[in-house]
Amino acid sequence: MKRTLPILITFVIGVIMVGEFFIPHWRYRALTGELLEWGIILTAGAFILGLVNLIQVHLPTVVERGTDWGYKAVLLVSLAVTLAMGFSNGKQRLDSGMEVSFSYKWIFDYVYVPLSATMFALLAFYIASAGFRAFRARNAEATLLLVAAALVMFASVPIGEGVPVIGEYLVALKDWTLDVPNNAARRAIFIGAALGAISTGLRVILGLERSHLGGD
Amino acid sequence: MLDLLLRFQAMDRRWVFLGMAISIVVPMLLPFNLPFKVDGRVQDLYDRVEALEAGDAVYISADFDPGSRPELEPFFRTHLHHLFRKDVRVVMGTLWPTAPPLVKPILEEIAGEYDKEYGRDWTFLGYIDGRELAIKSLGQSVRKTYPLDDRGNKTADLPVMLGLDAIRDFDILTSVSAGFPGTQAYVLQIQGQYNLEMASACTAVSAPDYIPYYQSGQLFGLSGGMPGSAQYEKLVYADTPEENRPRLAATSGMNVLSVGHMYIIVLLFLGNLAFFLTRGGKED
Repeated sequence: MKRTLPILITFVIGVIMVGEFFIPHWRYRALTGELLEWGIILTAGAFILGLVNLIQVHLPTVVERGTDWGYKAVLLVSLAVTLAMGFSNGKQRLDSGMEVSFSYKWIFDYVYVPLSATMFALLAFYIASAGFRAFRARNAEATLLLVAAALVMFASVPIGEGVPVIGEYLVALKDWTLDVPNNAARRAIFIGAALGAISTGLRVILGLERSHLGGD
Repeated sequence: MLDLLLRFQAMDRRWVFLGMAISIVVPMLLPFNLPFKVDGRVQDLYDRVEALEAGDAVYISADFDPGSRPELEPFFRTHLHHLFRKDVRVVMGTLWPTAPPLVKPILEEIAGEYDKEYGRDWTFLGYIDGRELAIKSLGQSVRKTYPLDDRGNKTADLPVMLGLDAIRDFDILTSVSAGFPGTQAYVLQIQGQYNLEMASACTAVSAPDYIPYYQSGQLFGLSGGMPGSAQYEKLVYADTPEENRPRLAATSGMNVLSVGHMYIIVLLFLGNLAFFLTRGGKED
């Protein structure tokens, strides 16, 4: 029963959702709409599970002063403070037109935004360093990749586009690289992935694939 | 020469970082303007928005965070200017929990500049969790997916939603997307099923992924990264006198991008030159 019931639920829901593509009746759509709503509520509920999991994983290390306990403490304190700020003035926020509270906005503007932007900006430095130290034309494939990368980078910006005489051709070559070989490869990947997803979906619906139910 | 190249190859990476920092900071301090052309994908996006008529409706899914802000915010701002200038109704939601504090003030600011009234000309529906499920649900009914807007009003009662429920009731769907859930999820979940007219503004790294969707007609337009945003700015503000233009963030960012790209290309060239001269190009 522990395995049969989830398989049965998966089969029924899966068949109903697939049927939506073939039965364009409003009653049927109302049914699938209801199921989608349940799904959205369930995924929102996963936030609570995530919260509990985060505490379960990191709190013991902090208490026992384990490896990197300081970082984990920062994580848990940040979590608690942001959560408290998010919950505080909740009613007031709703009544005043859902403006975010000052403290929560402050955390977002002056902590989250700079940290997130910094993490992303660091990529430029690491790409430059990795490109210089590791991106070598060691064989034909690496050479092709190197030439394509340099061409797309150069012709995508005004400095490359504006090179006298050849700038126009570089842009045309860059466009061709993106539109033809790039697309051919990506289409192949997309179609392969889609066929794989269809086959996995069918296996899950038919109960042949059970790994998502976990082991006993 | 060989000795110099060997020393260059073994250079501390902090010098590389310093060079990158200079390549970014100098064009910011000493701005210069290099002309650039508009890509066909951005031109198509612009042309379709231009063809909208007053009263038409656009749904914007603003799915980005502070990390992708420099690439996508310029497009987002310019798109809102473009839409409000055309007197188009704007309904916006987001699938990213970190997006609302970022996108809501911008929407409010630009709507205010055009004297647009909340609830009648535009609305912000806020954040919805559920990823693909939320997208699928938007395909069926925006009103049911977002029973209340960000201000706690009933979505169905808002005048801006008159005649709008399922996403296909909107004339255009614009996905401003920094990753998942975003453009690809919209295309896979609902674009094909409902044959939506959809455009995407994405990060530069995602653009090659979405070109097949543009070629197949699933996206009518595509703006990739900062260059795409700069090209869109160029089109939207082409007839606006310079003194009346807002600060064109992507256009000014193109200088930084130009020098930064050149710096990386020079590093690639020198690194490979050193590799070939010192190892004779033989594989390890």
